[in-house]
Amino acid sequence: MNLLELVFRNSFRKKTRFTLTCLSVVVAFFLLTTLAGIDHALNASVSNSNQYRLMTSHKISITRSLPINYQQKIKALAGVENATYVSWFGGYFQNEKNQLAVMAVDHNTYFDIFDEYKIPAEQLTSWKSTRTGLVISQSIADKYDWQIGDKVPLSSSIWMNKSGSFNWEFIVSAIYQRQDNTTDSKRIFFQHLYFDKARAYARNMTSWLSTQIKTDVDDEQVSKAIDKLFNNSDAATRTTTEQVFIKEQAQQFVDMAMVIKVVLIAVFFTLLLIVCNTMIQVNRERLNETAMMKAIGFSSLSLVKQVYLESLLMLSLGAILGSLLATLTLSQVQLQFADFLPGIAIDPSHYLTVFFLVIGAAGLCSLFPAITIKRLIISETLGARA
Amino acid sequence: MSTLSVAPAKKLNNIILQDINKSYSKGDNNVVVHDKFNLAIKSGDFVAIMGPSGLGKSTLLHLMGGLDRPTSGHVEIGGQRIDELSESKLTRWRADNIGFIFQSHHLLPVLSAQGNVELPLSLTPLNKKQRQQHAANALALVGMADRAHHFPKELSGGQEQRVAIARAIVSDPQILLCDEPTGNLDRKTADEILALLKKLNNDFGKTIVMVTHDLKAAEYASRVINLEEYIALGVEAQGAQIPQEQQSILVGE
Repeated sequence: MNLLELVFRNSFRKKTRFTLTCLSVVVAFFLLTTLAGIDHALNASVSNSNQYRLMTSHKISITRSLPINYQQKIKALAGVENATYVSWFGGYFQNEKNQLAVMAVDHNTYFDIFDEYKIPAEQLTSWKSTRTGLVISQSIADKYDWQIGDKVPLSSSIWMNKSGSFNWEFIVSAIYQRQDNTTDSKRIFFQHLYFDKARAYARNMTSWLSTQIKTDVDDEQVSKAIDKLFNNSDAATRTTTEQVFIKEQAQQFVDMAMVIKVVLIAVFFTLLLIVCNTMIQVNRERLNETAMMKAIGFSSLSLVKQVYLESLLMLSLGAILGSLLATLTLSQVQLQFADFLPGIAIDPSHYLTVFFLVIGAAGLCSLFPAITIKRLIISETLGARA
Repeated sequence: MSTLSVAPAKKLNNIILQDINKSYSKGDNNVVVHDKFNLAIKSGDFVAIMGPSGLGKSTLLHLMGGLDRPTSGHVEIGGQRIDELSESKLTRWRADNIGFIFQSHHLLPVLSAQGNVELPLSLTPLNKKQRQQHAANALALVGMADRAHHFPKELSGGQEQRVAIARAIVSDPQILLCDEPTGNLDRKTADEILALLKKLNNDFGKTIVMVTHDLKAAEYASRVINLEEYIALGVEAQGAQIPQEQQSILVGE
């Protein structure tokens, strides 16, 4: 018999209570880990954004277009390295369930600024010279089994072409690679020139512009200069850093995450109270045994250590099971929501957070029993039958 | 460390309670349990403390065992003032010197008889094998070797008390403090337990102080203190009541 064995045996003394309390820990850590995975996806694009890129959209709403000629005016500003423009096409393949992030981009400048897309040089050249060319990601190519040279029909729910159809024809010209697994890996690009000539309306207009600034200039200053440039025009602009822009776009998700986080914190603290209460109850039931152990020479510290280890065992088991279950669930969710919310993953540092949470929660749950043990008067507890 | 040593392998552990005052608060009242109480017990003695409830018999036992502290006065065991020890030192001292036997055995239900007896040894530097050996020896001594792997719920009241005695003696303390050790037992079983205590006193030289209401139990002791009469004698006379050979303890000879 050693103390660890005693802790283990004491833990499973009331199996139903242990199992139910442990299950509540499982649920809390399942929620925590699941949220961490979703949070990772929501923040992935933001953390991957470039600090030297500015995004310019219509001052009123991003749904309003800007003149394409803004590109040249922005380029002429001091501190600007390069500028490009992008139009949102949206689109889907075959049916609306297969939604895709399709964008029309300026083929001359876009990939110079967004150099995180790794495209073989010959494919990039081929795409630039193919008016209806598409640049797709490896994951899209794998998913739909598309290869270079394949003709691909894509439909847009926004843009009608001059023939009065919402169906557009493309040819796969290039496939890009990305190291990470973010929203960008689901993006598809085609030439804005083709888009502009083929669409039925809104010619010479674009959804937004991206500006690459020089590394030694203040982004805020350049942003102000851009907006000032168009302040008195029909299409006034609002320029922010790429990080702020992406954050704003994801605002609805982030807000949702905030709500989930608040709910989760509430759930987690309720769980702590449950485990705390269990440990207090356990300690109260064993007061006589605790007093006896103190009488035969166990120090208060040693007895508190036992309570701590008991809490730790319960929380660890729950945390391991909950986190494991969430990790398995997320791996399935990731497959199902790959297009809608890519980047669902558990950062390894999350497990470290779980580890420290368990250590801390065990300490918190042992606090009240520790005070009771410390204050316990042996003679009173064992009954001074004078 | 041997399982049980025969006296006087350890140094003499005379018990001295000198000018003990013990009181506690109960609501707004201050209840005085002992007032200038004196008692000396010689190492190796078997003393039964008797008397009606409410006189502070168990309190005396708790004071001797370091489970409680006097309001004033000295508690000296083996030449050491235990009332002056810090809480942690007192805990360590109890582990080394005192074996407790309670009316309610307070065995841990999750541990077998062997596990319960090994419990105090987990505070010693003994390895697992040594602990098991010591516990087995103690269980054999109390006649419980064949029940070593039984859990408390599988044992009778007498058997549980035997295991509690084995737990009390396994780390070889010189002093055994017994609070109504036979209070929950039938006569036959009580006699067996008392015979066992007598054996521990005779064969191993354990100093035993036993609080009891049982006149028959008191017959096993070498000295019986009727606390009611003892207190009635007064402070000066209490000293005179202490046997001649033990009076020297009080005066420090």
